[in-house]
Amino acid sequence: MRRRFFGHNFGIVFRFEVVRTLKKKTFWLTLLAFPLLFAAIFGVSYYASSQSESMANDLAKEKFSIALTDNSGTISTAVLEQIGAETIANRDEGISLVKVGKLDAYFYYPADLATNKVEIFAQNAGIFENFKYQSVAQALLQSSALAQTSPEIVAVLTSQINFETQTFSDGKNYNPIMEMIAPGVFLVLFFLIIVTFGGQMLNAVVEEKENRVSEMILTTIRSRTLIIGKIFAFLTLILIQVVIILGLVVAAYFLLRNHLNLPSFDLSAIPLDAARIAIGLAIFIASLLLFSGLLVAIGAAMPTAKDANQFFAIPILMIVAPLYVSPMLITSVTNSVITFLTFFPFTAPIPLMLRNAVGNLDVSEALVGTTILAVTAVIVFVIAARLFQTGAVEYSKKLSLRGLFRKRTT
Amino acid sequence: MSFASKKVIRDLSFKVHRGETFGFLGSNGSGKTTTLRALLGIYEPTAGELLVNGRPYDVASGTKIGYLPEERGLYKKESVIDTMVYFGQLKGMSRSDAKDFALDYLAKVDLSDYVTSRIDRLSGGMQQKVQLGITIMNDPELLILDEPTKGFDPINRRLLMDIIFGLKKRGATIMMVSHQMDDVEKLCDRILLLKDGLSKEYGSVASVRKKYGGKHIEDIFVEIYGGVDFENEEHFSLDEMANPPGKEKR
Repeated sequence: MRRRFFGHNFGIVFRFEVVRTLKKKTFWLTLLAFPLLFAAIFGVSYYASSQSESMANDLAKEKFSIALTDNSGTISTAVLEQIGAETIANRDEGISLVKVGKLDAYFYYPADLATNKVEIFAQNAGIFENFKYQSVAQALLQSSALAQTSPEIVAVLTSQINFETQTFSDGKNYNPIMEMIAPGVFLVLFFLIIVTFGGQMLNAVVEEKENRVSEMILTTIRSRTLIIGKIFAFLTLILIQVVIILGLVVAAYFLLRNHLNLPSFDLSAIPLDAARIAIGLAIFIASLLLFSGLLVAIGAAMPTAKDANQFFAIPILMIVAPLYVSPMLITSVTNSVITFLTFFPFTAPIPLMLRNAVGNLDVSEALVGTTILAVTAVIVFVIAARLFQTGAVEYSKKLSLRGLFRKRTT
Repeated sequence: MSFASKKVIRDLSFKVHRGETFGFLGSNGSGKTTTLRALLGIYEPTAGELLVNGRPYDVASGTKIGYLPEERGLYKKESVIDTMVYFGQLKGMSRSDAKDFALDYLAKVDLSDYVTSRIDRLSGGMQQKVQLGITIMNDPELLILDEPTKGFDPINRRLLMDIIFGLKKRGATIMMVSHQMDDVEKLCDRILLLKDGLSKEYGSVASVRKKYGGKHIEDIFVEIYGGVDFENEEHFSLDEMANPPGKEKR
């Protein structure tokens, strides 16, 4: 039954395409490049941030001789005693003590801190070390100000207040951001597939023709089965990549979450709206079929992968273009441009998936949109299969649509 | 059969008997490859029938066909063994049988050291050997060879001849397109000469030769398709080619 549905030799093509790709080093390098790059960027930024934090702390704790004049009356005596700083009444005296080397630093706090600068006079300690004076001058101000304030105000000023918002829809708890996550997965997945794997899929379609293998292979398998075998193999490889990347991310999260103080995620808190997930899946499958059909059509019509890649930008641009009006897709759904983008098959995938994710696509619109996508995908596939069959032995010239539908007679 | 308004094949009717070696001959562009592609279902004829074992060829029919097309090629980035096993499986062999056949064949043609090499690392001659091996995988009952010796060095040409003789001995039906008329005379039982999509001669090699007064096939070919008399300057002049009429000399 399986054979009849997929076609003669489908399984052999599928296995060959999957196994040979898994054997390639480039597949694993490409696969691991993304998480490794992500980890490297995260690691560097984490290291840099922890280094600067500890450097700032070290500088602030650094002991050196300080004197200051506080005309603002902000610096508390307790804080001054804590760091062993003395006060000087005269600004010029403070400056001259620094100049003769009797003081490491002198801070002059003006009466109006809001409009005038705090002046720092200090011994040169080098480009980076000189920052310590400002850190200490600032720390003195902050510590003194916080010491004079209630814990509640301190919490407000230091952004330590926690908020919890609950919104309702039809009398039930409704968090639009959380609601987006499950149906939004299809949009992210689709976008990643077309951007990351589109070119590879195109090359796979052109491969037989470019290598002059078409004739030999088409005596053993129907062109349609060959295409479907390749597409299914590619989708399987994408699935493998997604599973591996997600696995690495999850493993890294559980291994490092305590060490890096990562926030905890409660996956069970993600709402699962079955209807929206089903609609998202249907749009995703129809979009993927349409995209694959377009790739096959382009690949079949062009003699080489190089030629095909030049035309590959056209479907990509059409599909990705609606992202530029994504705010309108969320807020202005009655706009005629948005209606056009939502129902024109070659731009529809992203508007349909995004609107379904944010919850402004009603069921009737989803049905019409998915039907348009599916019907177009079937038409494109029929044309693509015909192009593939006709173009399979056109090793050096491009096929035209006119040529495709030109009647062959005997 | 025609492409757009140009008729490539017209009123062509012929039969290839089981177990015979049939020469399908004609000048360039006479429609030989188109006929073979239509026979194998790569092109779809809009009228007429091309039958293999009494029915149109279908990849799932179980008919064992070995096809060496005029346009040669292999998956360049795959290994020799993977490529051969893949084609063997597509032709109906089990994976282990295909592997055994491939290893045995590669040993016979001195390519044992290249079993796991990528195809694009092999020389042109080695690639031809691999393609020949693929063509004869799964013991074909019908072997279709389109200009089989095209681009072959003498060693591979000899190998091909041995293969053809071997398969012929085992009762395979062979249909070959060739411009090597001495090969045709040596190998073929019957021939068909195609000109502008029409059959010009069709019959046994002996009967066609007899019809033309015992001439060799190559001479008959030249007679039918019209050759160039290199000794007659009125027909062929290098000077004229260099300075065609109407082109002013500087």
